[in-house]
Amino acid sequence: MMLEIENLKVKTGDVEILRGLTLSVNAGEVHAIMGPNGSGKSTLALVIAGHDDYVVTDGSVKFKGKNLLELEPEERAREGIFLGFQYPVEIPGVNNTYLLKAAVNAVRRHQGLDEVDAFEFLKLAREKTALLGMDPQFLNRGVNEGFSGGEKKRNEILQMAMLEPTLAILDETDSGLDIDALKAVAAGINALRSDDRAIILVTHYQRMLDYIEPDHVHVLSHGRIVRSGDKSLALQLEEKGYDWLREAASA
Amino acid sequence: MTNSALSMDVLRRAVTELPDDRLTPVRQAALARLQESGLPTTRQENWKYTDLSGAIEVAERALEAGSDSSGDGGVQQEIDAVRNTIDAHWLVIANGRIIGEPPPDLQTAGVEVVSFSESSTTPSIDEPLTALNAALLEDGLSIRIDEGADISKPIAILVIDDADSTPCMSQVRVAIELAPNSHAQFVEYHTSSGTAEHYSNSVIDLTLADDAKVDYLRVQKRNLNHSQTERMNVQLGCDSQLRHCGFDLGGKLSRNDLDIDIVGAGAYASFDGLFMAGDGQHIDNHTRVDHRVGPASSIQEYRGILSGACRGVWNGKVIVHAGADGTDAQQTNHNLLLSEKSEIYAKPELEIYADDVKCSHGTTVGQLDEAALFYLRSRGLARRHARQILVHAFGASVIGKSPLASVSGLLGEMVEARLNELTASDSK
Repeated sequence: MMLEIENLKVKTGDVEILRGLTLSVNAGEVHAIMGPNGSGKSTLALVIAGHDDYVVTDGSVKFKGKNLLELEPEERAREGIFLGFQYPVEIPGVNNTYLLKAAVNAVRRHQGLDEVDAFEFLKLAREKTALLGMDPQFLNRGVNEGFSGGEKKRNEILQMAMLEPTLAILDETDSGLDIDALKAVAAGINALRSDDRAIILVTHYQRMLDYIEPDHVHVLSHGRIVRSGDKSLALQLEEKGYDWLREAASA
Repeated sequence: MTNSALSMDVLRRAVTELPDDRLTPVRQAALARLQESGLPTTRQENWKYTDLSGAIEVAERALEAGSDSSGDGGVQQEIDAVRNTIDAHWLVIANGRIIGEPPPDLQTAGVEVVSFSESSTTPSIDEPLTALNAALLEDGLSIRIDEGADISKPIAILVIDDADSTPCMSQVRVAIELAPNSHAQFVEYHTSSGTAEHYSNSVIDLTLADDAKVDYLRVQKRNLNHSQTERMNVQLGCDSQLRHCGFDLGGKLSRNDLDIDIVGAGAYASFDGLFMAGDGQHIDNHTRVDHRVGPASSIQEYRGILSGACRGVWNGKVIVHAGADGTDAQQTNHNLLLSEKSEIYAKPELEIYADDVKCSHGTTVGQLDEAALFYLRSRGLARRHARQILVHAFGASVIGKSPLASVSGLLGEMVEARLNELTASDSK
């Protein structure tokens, strides 16, 4: 089991957001987490990444058998967890390539590997930008500085492609993308699919699932998973909305 | 404390101990001026946040001890170390004393360097600290750039102070004049050695004739037991250009006054600064631009990084005088506070008496962006590394504006080293 979440309860301030969430993700799988606004999707993503605005009050999260909750965000990243942010931060003055390289080297050092060769690294970064339909100029700019919404999302996928995480959690990576950008981003995500990796897609819409076929679909409502199924569940949701599930959950 | 008085008797005695030379009358005039004005106190608006009493106490003790520091004997190694880092025509002032002869290749390049005592230059005495400087001045340096000369190698002034066992004080006076259509680059580098306290008081006059161009880099990297006040008076002629950049990396108390007087139409002045203060430091930048004629532009950006128990002050004044139409004046000041004990007093001041002007100002005070910090950590960067990156990015824009390309690499290293010290001590 790659990721095992059991009865997870999470608060921010006085507000309980996750109320006993249980989820298991195996290597090789793609899970889609869907649900209405405010159901706790982004909270789940941020808790897995280690954001300290969120306090775990109960339950456990294990990653490759390790207790994830006692690790700092940077330790989680080095263990192979990647969060693609819903709203990637602009960091003027920090060069995009510099961050990519620092991130890749942080993971490599953790794995006992030597730092990347600068030349090889740049070559690889250029290949990945091309794959994502990004102008190589983006590599020389400040991190997300002045990027459009779509460019920011592509930049997240670029980082993921360079870091090659074991578990990628992509928080609404599809939102704000036009159809070409969506296809490019989906191609980047599909390229990462492999037997030893897992991907969690957090999304509102089933649109992205036309391009990335999930193995499992879960519906999150009021901080709990209220329904799980295969990809047909996403289509059902597209048709019926979420209300019928909310009623089912509270019944 | 506002009682920053210096005993006139002690001062008078110190003045009589200086050699009787061309400067004697102006030293006496300066004394009289000082007796009238006294030294700045926190009761004065311009000095509200900067208390000089500690530095003046060092001055008093230095004068009482009559400590005549040993000249360049103890600091030759440090002098050589600094000289080796920047390829320049070096002029050295150690403990207020001009050391050695000016490099001979300066004269062939079109630069005349003479001491005040050997020339007709007379130090001004208008401001109290300027009068203090003139009263106790051993000698000053006068630098003149010939008409049309283009000095490709920077002219560097090393101000080094060494106080080993007793408190010391030193006065530095440099007058730089650029003849029409000349161009030169300057580095002004303040550093110190020794464990005793020191107070250094500098006055730099920089005059640009029509069409002259100056790139000026000021670096202050003093020990934390050395304080300094510095005043730079700039006068800009028609179509002249000044690009000035200042870096304050050290010092216990550092007060910089940069006054720019725009007297020629078409003049352009850009001046930027980065100040970094840690525990126990106080750094004050006061700038003032007098736009007397137009069109002319002045643009400034100061950034402060404050960590630990320290204080930063930035006061930017722009006066657009009547008739100075076509003035474009912009000022910005951004401050990053890394600890709860750090303080910043930031104040932009605009006085506009002309009609057709474009003026803007903006000041911000903030902390490290937690969202950015988390973002970097989520990419595997250690918290400390992430902080360093963000703090460095904040200061990087000023390094990017430094007008001397040949020194920017060294400058980047010095800033990074200081920032790493500051972020290491402020891990939360």
